[in-house]
Amino acid sequence: MVNPSLLIAVPLAFAFSIPLFGLVSKKIGKYIPVVALLINVGISFILIPQILKKPAVVSIGGWSPPFCINLVVGPLGVFLATLISSIGLLVAIYAISYIKEEPTEKYHMLFLLLITGATGIVLTGDIFNLFVFFEILCISSYALVAYNKDKEGTEAAMKYLIQGSVGSSFVLIGIALLYGMFGTLNMADIASRVTSADPTFLFISLAFLITGFGIEAAIFPLNAWLPDAHSSAPSSISAILSGIAIKTGIYGVARMIYTIFNADGILTFIAFLGLLTLLIGEMSAFRQNDIKRLLAYSSIGQIGLIVFALGIATSLGVFAGLFQIVSHALAKALLFMAAGYMIYRVGSKSIDSLSGLGRKMPLTSFAFTIGSFSLIGLPPFAGFISKFSIVYAAIQVKKPIFLVFVVIALIATVIEAGYFFKVVQNLYFKEGKNVDNVTETSGYIIVPMIILVISIIVIGIHPQFITGLLKGAAGELLGRTGYIGWVLGGS
Amino acid sequence: MSGIYNWMYYIASGGLILIGLYIVLVKTNLIKIVIGLNFIDTGINILLICIGYVRGRTAPIFSRPGISPANVVDPVPQALVLTAIVIGVAVLALALSIVIKVYQHNKTLNVTKIKGLKW
Repeated sequence: MVNPSLLIAVPLAFAFSIPLFGLVSKKIGKYIPVVALLINVGISFILIPQILKKPAVVSIGGWSPPFCINLVVGPLGVFLATLISSIGLLVAIYAISYIKEEPTEKYHMLFLLLITGATGIVLTGDIFNLFVFFEILCISSYALVAYNKDKEGTEAAMKYLIQGSVGSSFVLIGIALLYGMFGTLNMADIASRVTSADPTFLFISLAFLITGFGIEAAIFPLNAWLPDAHSSAPSSISAILSGIAIKTGIYGVARMIYTIFNADGILTFIAFLGLLTLLIGEMSAFRQNDIKRLLAYSSIGQIGLIVFALGIATSLGVFAGLFQIVSHALAKALLFMAAGYMIYRVGSKSIDSLSGLGRKMPLTSFAFTIGSFSLIGLPPFAGFISKFSIVYAAIQVKKPIFLVFVVIALIATVIEAGYFFKVVQNLYFKEGKNVDNVTETSGYIIVPMIILVISIIVIGIHPQFITGLLKGAAGELLGRTGYIGWVLGGS
Repeated sequence: MSGIYNWMYYIASGGLILIGLYIVLVKTNLIKIVIGLNFIDTGINILLICIGYVRGRTAPIFSRPGISPANVVDPVPQALVLTAIVIGVAVLALALSIVIKVYQHNKTLNVTKIKGLKW
């Protein structure tokens, strides 16, 4: 069996090897993330069938849990790790020719560190280790948002840094309180003893942890940094932040609520927060005229939908939320890649300036259209299945409040359709003004977009390719005794 | 009186965290905001240390004579604090370098005057 810790070790080792390769030749640096993530994708696809049969617990340093730092690779961890390395690989291919601003080797190094942090978050079984990986992810994304060193980028990075480090401080306070109560940092060990503690202290530490991870996940009212950071970063970074980084925040929230605290009482509140996030995000996106800002606000809306689905807390609801994570990651990465190259060719971020690109850049416009249709939830794309399952799961709960929630969520979908159709109409049915010299994208840029379009359509038509994995992952989130049993043995 | 004496490290750490949050929320100078973030970090480090502290005991260095498990403090929070300090330094360095770039672009450190991204 392949050792799952390689999923973290490979990108970390390659990240620090980039400056060394840079001594030999400046041109090698941009291919190294592709190689590293190709290895990672390979490892995670080998791991999936093995993990589905039997989850793996890797103890580091030869001690047995709960006395060591361990990795817990269950279906959820391997599912998110696969998603992270696949999207990361595509973005790395895109970045080969997209990133031109010097010093490029620093970009590729930080990018690999970001992937390391995200993979570590979803695989670790130790709560302080989770914090460390969370900080690796956050620090590299602050730096990457400011990578172009322009006026908007630095300002957005400053906002992101201030809010993000307050958030990670809150996570650390929550961890300190948990350690004070239980004297252990192992997540399974904490989970098994959580009933023995004073509920007031438990609630305080849960509140700190949810607020901290909620800032990274951009759950309303903690979403102020996201539109600035995602719209000012280089487009490849916007794709990775929207596709992966905010999902790790959601993973943190879900892991805390379901596995560690078993906090059933706040789930309806979480669903309500998700719905509020959805509505605020979609309504703000509707009035944007900057294409990347529109996509950023749409990310907030989609995050709200995922949180809403996780708040339903039936196995179908959690399954639908995880499916939405996949379809949003694929579609939003595709949209940011396509929009990034359109902006690069046209030289402006405003939606009006993209008019008439449907004829000049047919492949890129087609990719953008597929991505936006999938996000809206039109069949036969992946977004249809996930949105349909969320609505179906919410109706299955048979509580009147959830029926109201479903109606509001569907209204938000209509708003979403409104602004995406506006952009697509602009691309195809309006005469462009200054687009005569625009040419189609080429080379490495178009390959990841084609792969994403194909995977959106294939998953939309044959969802059974991933449903087995997603059902296992949903079972891991809802079955906390099983999780405790894998790590501590017994049961 | 002895109640306050027992809780004073917790009070100090909570106070530092709150002072830091106040600075981050209220001050308009970017450098001061970064200092506020550092206050929060320091407060959390003290909180972590005092969770593992037992009055009258010493550091768990077992190569020294006369040290037994009965008279040492919990070493895990100290390891955590070492890690947290390193992370704090990294964030501080990155924050200050971004502040320099922000100043070069805007010629001011006053956050109420930096509104390039307001919609």
